Amino acid sequence: MSLRVCSIDDLTPGEGLRIDAVSPPIAVFLTEDGEVYCLDDTCSHQDASLASGWVEDCRVECPLHESTFHLATGQVDQPPAKRSVRAHQAQVLDGEVYVELSTAEPVLPPGVRVP
Amino acid sequence: MMTSGSAPQLSLDPDDRLLIIGAGLAGYHTARGARLNGHQGQITILGAEHRLAYDRPALSKAYLTGAVSEDDLALDDPDQPLDAQWVPGADVIALSAVPLGVHTLTGEFWAADAVVIATGAGARTLPQTNPDDEVARPYLLRSMDDAAALRATCLQGLGVAVVGGGFLALEAAATCTQRGAESVTVIAGEQHPGATRLGTPVGRALRSVHEAHGVRFASAARAVSVTSTTAGHTVHLADGSAVAADVAILACGAVPATGWLQGGPLHLSPAGAVLCDDFGATGIAGVWAAGDCAEWASQSKGLRPVGHWQEALEQAAVVAAHLTGAEPQPMQEPYFWSDQYDLRLQGAGRIAAADEVRVLEGSAETGDLLISYLRGGTEVGILGFNRLREVKRWRKQHQIRKAQTVAA
Repeated sequence: MSLRVCSIDDLTPGEGLRIDAVSPPIAVFLTEDGEVYCLDDTCSHQDASLASGWVEDCRVECPLHESTFHLATGQVDQPPAKRSVRAHQAQVLDGEVYVELSTAEPVLPPGVRVP
Repeated sequence: MMTSGSAPQLSLDPDDRLLIIGAGLAGYHTARGARLNGHQGQITILGAEHRLAYDRPALSKAYLTGAVSEDDLALDDPDQPLDAQWVPGADVIALSAVPLGVHTLTGEFWAADAVVIATGAGARTLPQTNPDDEVARPYLLRSMDDAAALRATCLQGLGVAVVGGGFLALEAAATCTQRGAESVTVIAGEQHPGATRLGTPVGRALRSVHEAHGVRFASAARAVSVTSTTAGHTVHLADGSAVAADVAILACGAVPATGWLQGGPLHLSPAGAVLCDDFGATGIAGVWAAGDCAEWASQSKGLRPVGHWQEALEQAAVVAAHLTGAEPQPMQEPYFWSDQYDLRLQGAGRIAAADEVRVLEGSAETGDLLISYLRGGTEVGILGFNRLREVKRWRKQHQIRKAQTVAA
């Protein structure tokens, strides 16, 4: 079932928004092209919020190091992260962002647990 | 800024043997980079420690608190292991230029077509007033063995003295506080830790953050020696004062791990670093150096920092590119980070070159300090407390892309 997580007006083009109401937290991204994507918010390498990362070419670069994750698939490109993060289906209806949460196990960094 | 110059040496033939001395961040990433660039020949990595390559930053943080394990810090990906021969516990004693290779204490000679020296750095220590007392030595925080020993020590009810004012020392102080130490005293060698390198606003902020967690700071004098007995440690300061503690941690700098190169063919700096050009070439054909054991030309000139994780990573990529004839990634603006309590500090740019430090927003108390570094009125660096978005944006906006360097 889809979950309403925010309004499109809450998002800034080229940035991510962390949603803490979901555990583990997720990040909703609005690209400069106007596409909306959703990933788990926590980098799989170390506890850092991907919502604060750099969005470019349909990828987000972790704010701490240089691993980038594909916004549509969560796939990682290079170290230090080794594992991909979960991607969630996002859609916009009437200006509201809805997310279908992945049923896969979250991929959290060492030392970080689901609260 | 990268200094210009022509590519110094011919790259390896596809089946040439690459020998890497040192199994840390720079050694691992040189090997990984060479493979990614298509090198087919044998890659051998001689490591001094009896474990595979691991990432060191967590040794003073999450590893020390017990939040992460040794396996979590492995650099290599078990699902996609690097195609390389790992030789742990290798005791390398000398470099040979002709024939090219290294000698080990056990009498072996490892011949190679290229040698990359990536032996890192060891902890700088203080003179011990009773060096023969093997029973109680201060803890160090360079290797996993060092950190494991400190991690195995219960700190409940104990007084801890941390010698050093850099991030390693401050992270250790934060971790010991979190682990229940009765008291933690930092002997930073300056009134506000980090003020000399990062500016007074940052030094003041760091001190206030630590004091809010109960950490005490000794006088601004430098630590000069330590006396250790089974009853505890006494750290002696240059102003005649002393700090007594049950546990002492030395985190007061690093020295290049190049003792085995002394008297050999390479040029070493007075501190012992292997001197290189900005490609990592040492001047001896086929011998390169990267990471904390090395000092590249722009580092010797003070244009780039020494000892940063990011620096080792990027140098390894440059060396790997030159070894394989690939186009090297340009070195980026220097970058570092530190985790202390619930603060994440990140700094980027030419902070050492700044002639003005400006507080843009926030404060230490609110955990959101944002600092700008300027030189001649132009911003050359940034530092943030929990300012991940701003620091990342700054780094990306200052990113040097490949095409730009070709045009330069």
